Amino acid sequence: MSTIPRKIQHALFGISLPVYLLLYTPLAVIAIFSFGPSLGHPTVNVAAYGLLLQDPEVMAALRRSLTLALCSAALGTLLGTLMGFGLSRFRPATGGGFWLGTLPSLIIYLPIIMPSLVFGISELIFFNFVHEYTGLLSAGLLTMGIAHVTFQSPYVALVVYARLAGLDPNLFEASQDLYANPIKSFLFLTIPVVRPALIGGFLLAITLSIDDFTISFFTAGPGSVTLPIYIYSAIARKGASPEINALGSLMIASVIGIALLYYFITRHRERSTRIPAVA
Amino acid sequence: MTTAVQTEARGRAWRLWLTSGPGLFWIVLFLLIPSGIMLGIAFFTNSDFGSPVLPLSLDSFSEVAGYGILGWSGANFTVLLRSLLQAGIATSITILLAYPLVFFIVTRPPSLRPVLLLFAIVPSWTNQVVRTYAWMELLNPFAPVSHIAQTLGLIPPHLGLMPGNFAVLIGLTYNYLPYMVVPLYAAAEKLDWTLVEAGRDLYASGTKLFFNAVFPQTLPGLLSGIILVGIPAFGDYVVPQLLGGDKAMMLGSLIADQFTFSPNWPYGAALTIIMLVFTCVGLITFRRLTQKLGGGEGAML
Repeated sequence: MSTIPRKIQHALFGISLPVYLLLYTPLAVIAIFSFGPSLGHPTVNVAAYGLLLQDPEVMAALRRSLTLALCSAALGTLLGTLMGFGLSRFRPATGGGFWLGTLPSLIIYLPIIMPSLVFGISELIFFNFVHEYTGLLSAGLLTMGIAHVTFQSPYVALVVYARLAGLDPNLFEASQDLYANPIKSFLFLTIPVVRPALIGGFLLAITLSIDDFTISFFTAGPGSVTLPIYIYSAIARKGASPEINALGSLMIASVIGIALLYYFITRHRERSTRIPAVA
Repeated sequence: MTTAVQTEARGRAWRLWLTSGPGLFWIVLFLLIPSGIMLGIAFFTNSDFGSPVLPLSLDSFSEVAGYGILGWSGANFTVLLRSLLQAGIATSITILLAYPLVFFIVTRPPSLRPVLLLFAIVPSWTNQVVRTYAWMELLNPFAPVSHIAQTLGLIPPHLGLMPGNFAVLIGLTYNYLPYMVVPLYAAAEKLDWTLVEAGRDLYASGTKLFFNAVFPQTLPGLLSGIILVGIPAFGDYVVPQLLGGDKAMMLGSLIADQFTFSPNWPYGAALTIIMLVFTCVGLITFRRLTQKLGGGEGAML
């Protein structure tokens, strides 16, 4: 490190500081404007937050967003953990050829690499056809949830897989030698080992769900307006307003809160230098 | 003996499907099959209501190529070219910003690095609509930034920096910068600095040191960064929709329109095929390059 001359180190700092500022300026602007003067409130005030809390539409959207995030994250974590666990433990050492090796990887990466617009529209068409022919799955929170689980489970699988991949496989043999049956070794070895990945995966799944707009937008029905969709249509309808800024500020604050909480919880558990995921 | 080995292998395969099966089945049922249907729709004929009907035809593809009732128009090519350009320029800017940022972080003490990296990533955890909306407030005609640009004569008076191509470019760069920072950081953190010292001992200049000793080591990270930024930026929907006007339309909005405002599903599906073709070409090219350069994916599936 010391090989970098002082002059260049100063230059790096000189460029990085504005980049950091640039990253936070838009978020700060939203927060500042949320206290800004509006009709009937000429000075700095918190009226927008009051309006927000009394708005039944916003509260309903918040409830839907939370329901969607928690339910989809629970199922997404379950399916994702099983996928990550199965692929790291039971895939043949030789790679497994096409059916057991390449195909599962391809399927898992599909939701990650597919552009979210294509993802959303494909689901729109699919649910439309299913509803037309069977009467099931009309567009709403359920279809949104199905779509969310589809993009959450691969990320959880990757997190769990990465955790198990760094594990000594002899541990599992040792537990077998000590006469643990598969269920016991799953409960007392696998679960404790993957717990940080499990918590991390669950929180990641929640963040992914709250973060998503495009896929939700195309799978939503008339009665399933969640917060991002509410904000989007409010911008399209009436442009900027202190109320939307207040809502945005609260969303930013809660996401940053969850992120920092997760970071400080896991920091003490894992000493290895992890790289947080971008979502 | 062989039978025992076979039973063992069969048992493993059985357990693999038992654990991974439900998740894989979910993705096949709710994404692979739907996207297959979507691609198939491109080969149907458009009905009066915009839904696909028989007979099979290639009309939607000629519409993509620009042939309509009013003769040929190059509008679709312009949109495609604009999407490629915007994604390309946004990716380049993220590279130029991410390199100094990443090397600033890796030259800090090890205890500070995770926090500094976290600070660079946290904005990407907020909702994309909120992030993009923030730029609407920053770049609109009444915002101070626009006033400065007007005074400097960069834009005509009474116009803002949005909607337009410039605003879309800023929005894309802002949205996807962290996706470049993370893989670059992963590569830069593992950097072998003894190579740099060796180069210095041989009296290599700063630029030469960077391009011969540092840059090649970060190349795998850079290539995954280009994939992570370029592909979603190319297919982005929210940013051009909110920050761009009609004159800044990108492929994503053009596709979405065919399924919402003016339904024409076969045409929209054909446009989607074009988007997927470009996505796959980009993905395969950069993957090949990464493999050629021997970049490991680490603990990847």
